[in-house]
Amino acid sequence: MINGTVVDLSRTQFAATALYHYLFVPLTLGLSFLLAAMETVYVTTGKPIYKDMARFWGKLFMINFALGVATGLTMEFQFGTNWSFYSSFVGDIFGAPLAIEGLMAFFMESTFVGLMVFGWDRLSRGQHLAVTWLVALGSNLSALWILIANSFMQDPSGAAFNPVTMRMELTSFQELIFNSDAQSKFVHTSIAGYVTAAIFVAGVSAWYMLRNRHMELAKRSFRMAALYGVLATVGVITLGDALGFVAAHAQPTKLAAMEGQWKSEPAPMPFNLIAFPDQARQENHYAIQVPALLSLLVTHSLDGTVPGIDALQRRAALRVENGIPAVEALKVLSKDPANAAALAGFNAHRQDLGYGFLAQRYEADPGKATAGEIAQAARDSIPPVASVFWAFRLMVGLGLLMLAFFVLALLYTLPNVVHRKTWFLKVAVWMIPVPFLANEFGWLTAELGRQPWTVYGVLPTWMSASTHSVAYMAFSLIGFVALYTAFISVEMYLMMRAVRQGPEENWRIES
Amino acid sequence: MNPYAMLQVTWWLLLGVLLIGLAVMVGMDMGVGTILRYVGRSDIERRVALNIIGPHWDGNQVWFILGGGAIFAAFPLIYATAFSGFYVVMLLLLWTMIVRPLGFEYRSKIPSSAWRNAWDWSLLVSGAVPMIVFGAAFGNLFHGVPFHFEWNLTSVYTGSFLGLLNPFAILCGLLSLALSVMMGGLTVMNGAEGPMHGRARTVVQVGAAAAVVLFAAGGAWVHAIPGFSIVSGPGAGVAQTPLRQLVEAVPGAWQGNFSARPSLWLLPAIGFAGMAGALLAARAGRSHLGWWFGALAWIGVIGTAGAALFPFLLPSSEDPSMSLTVWNSSSSQLTLTWMLVMAVVFVPLVLWYTSWAFYVMRGKVRAERVAHDEHAY
Amino acid sequence: MKTFAFFVLYMLLAVVVILLAVLLGADGAWYFAWLVGTAMIVLIAAAGAAMLDAQEEQAAGRVAGKPEPRT
Repeated sequence: MINGTVVDLSRTQFAATALYHYLFVPLTLGLSFLLAAMETVYVTTGKPIYKDMARFWGKLFMINFALGVATGLTMEFQFGTNWSFYSSFVGDIFGAPLAIEGLMAFFMESTFVGLMVFGWDRLSRGQHLAVTWLVALGSNLSALWILIANSFMQDPSGAAFNPVTMRMELTSFQELIFNSDAQSKFVHTSIAGYVTAAIFVAGVSAWYMLRNRHMELAKRSFRMAALYGVLATVGVITLGDALGFVAAHAQPTKLAAMEGQWKSEPAPMPFNLIAFPDQARQENHYAIQVPALLSLLVTHSLDGTVPGIDALQRRAALRVENGIPAVEALKVLSKDPANAAALAGFNAHRQDLGYGFLAQRYEADPGKATAGEIAQAARDSIPPVASVFWAFRLMVGLGLLMLAFFVLALLYTLPNVVHRKTWFLKVAVWMIPVPFLANEFGWLTAELGRQPWTVYGVLPTWMSASTHSVAYMAFSLIGFVALYTAFISVEMYLMMRAVRQGPEENWRIES
Repeated sequence: MNPYAMLQVTWWLLLGVLLIGLAVMVGMDMGVGTILRYVGRSDIERRVALNIIGPHWDGNQVWFILGGGAIFAAFPLIYATAFSGFYVVMLLLLWTMIVRPLGFEYRSKIPSSAWRNAWDWSLLVSGAVPMIVFGAAFGNLFHGVPFHFEWNLTSVYTGSFLGLLNPFAILCGLLSLALSVMMGGLTVMNGAEGPMHGRARTVVQVGAAAAVVLFAAGGAWVHAIPGFSIVSGPGAGVAQTPLRQLVEAVPGAWQGNFSARPSLWLLPAIGFAGMAGALLAARAGRSHLGWWFGALAWIGVIGTAGAALFPFLLPSSEDPSMSLTVWNSSSSQLTLTWMLVMAVVFVPLVLWYTSWAFYVMRGKVRAERVAHDEHAY
Repeated sequence: MKTFAFFVLYMLLAVVVILLAVLLGADGAWYFAWLVGTAMIVLIAAAGAAMLDAQEEQAAGRVAGKPEPRT
């Protein structure tokens, strides 16, 4: 039996390393295409200012990219080191997109990024432009395969449990990659990266304009970022809606937690704008509601409904009871794969195997589970509502803030007067942290909302972790946090230093 | 052989190709990091050495990431069991490897010599430690690793961290370090001129000579290590768990494959020939030829280890019957098929554009250029 | 005041675009949409920069002979 503290520490470590990693990734996703845009203008118009821009933002890109690569190394191996049972249980499906990510995308991104930095003098303009586009394409294809893998955890389609090998196995590669959660989540995440880069470039450009430095570069960068950002923000919001729509079908408990919906209600359901959910009493202490909005948002109609947590928990209790015989049959099959009675018993209950595992947390032999333990297992099937509810609202709130910012940015940059709007430039500098926060809240919404599962409805988190000792986990968690914190301090220092130094104005004369 | 068994063997071979790619491509960058402080005496010399691999280290490192991903996709039980069992070793590997990208990217961004010196040391550690860990991990496979499975295939590692640092494993770790130093030296020779070229030549000769000795010693030592042998089990190409077989420890079993197929002796011969060729080519100043000999040496060494262990991937010293083999730890037939399709399409593509990148950046790295290029490492 | 009016107008426009996209794309071919959308966003950003060049040249032309102050 796995120690609960070890599971909690493993989760903390995964969340910490993923959240650190995810500070750097979105900027890479978005800035790479923005670099491609700048270089495209350079190659088509031949104006050297755009080459300066591509090189300057490229330098900041690389400072960020190095940490994205470094922290990404951990992610590739952490499933094996800390989520051993998870890895063997779903590796047949989950490992494939990870390997394809390396083969198809990360190789492309990493090989060409070297040429992008070192190849200015060795490649023709057209070749270098192609290289930059390939870096951008490669980094976003990386995100594609990672999110296909992640979507399998949210909505495990294209796979089935095989009692002979005692694990989940792939049944349809097409279903895996065209999973509707994967489709909308990839686009949502990729263009959230564009928004991040747009705010970053706009903010740094505003900082220059405030000081009347590098005006040509700053005005052009700001203009490009504003256009790129406003379109991307509109896209992110659209895809966010699509994701909610998908989750309403595939992950009803996540959706109920995001909306703080404790009770099932008749249509049209009101939307909790602000509420203070209480997990123990299963109610909101206080709520400001907008009538009918929830039905509109998640079902795109006025007469649609989604189940509340009360109904979902009742459904979970039934599934736990139904899943327990599946676990017991599996135990028999583990010793004697030829046992026909056990196989028949397993097949009769197999769709609720995961829920049987939820009960196993309290009773190693789940056949002995009491009514109280089954009720507890059903309660476990509900994610931590307050955290998910607020992470989601913060993400959406920051997203709307960015939309307003970009609309205003467009109003000022299109007539080319933004450099005179000092107050707005100051706001732009202060906007820089906003997308990074929104990205982290998005990650928290998606992954906390998935609890208590690592693979929704199939494999509970408590079973997934490796069987390490508490001492090992404390050691590694402290090590990662210390190391990453040191790195991020160095990175921020170098980034600010490079921004203060500004673009190299004379490099063309030197070389 | 049924189609599933053929896929399993194909993926075992492909895994070998990926590991060789990892050893050659990452190994040479690691080697440059390890010898950086020796071949580069001044700051500008060290910058020259770093800029020789500057355009390529990032792409090369993907061999490492792909290695992890491919083990996950093709042999998930190995990924799950080995990486969690080797926990502290994996942390050592990850923590040192994480420092490396920053060493390349951040070292020369600030002129302070204390700053640069600190990064030079970190590049040494992050070059040497991972290579020792790679080799030691391979060495431990010959002894077997203490782990077992529960009824639902939860893997439990019962050994300690220090148990993984046994003498044979350390010898394998040193062999891997020697080969990487040799390749690092050849890489510096390819891109540097003058005194650095000469120092790198010395490094290659020391590395290659050490590799010859260590490879021979390791080969002799393996005779004293009891091998593992499958007594009974479902066999190749049959869906199964590792709870279904009987495995015994048998003295001399690691020589079994070589006795059955004497042509396998070609593999260690290729290893020795590669090392000797690299040494002689470096002496003659023909470092590009030497580099290819070095790659051949890696093929020989990894091929020899793989051929000795086959079909074992991760033997269990605690309960040999729970040992992981190519047959009981691979992915399903459908996953292996799709992954093979991907590999057939993308591995040649990767090799093609990687070669193009090396072609574009060919030639010597000159100190004046490095000093004047703000984007250089 | 004029700026505020335009701000409200553009925000409304953004909301309308989002609503339209939501209704049209309830079960969208999002991978394809990403491909087309990304190309479009990048090209529009590039066009915006080219437009800025034109604007500045025009402004410089109006102040006869005097180029924009360069930094």
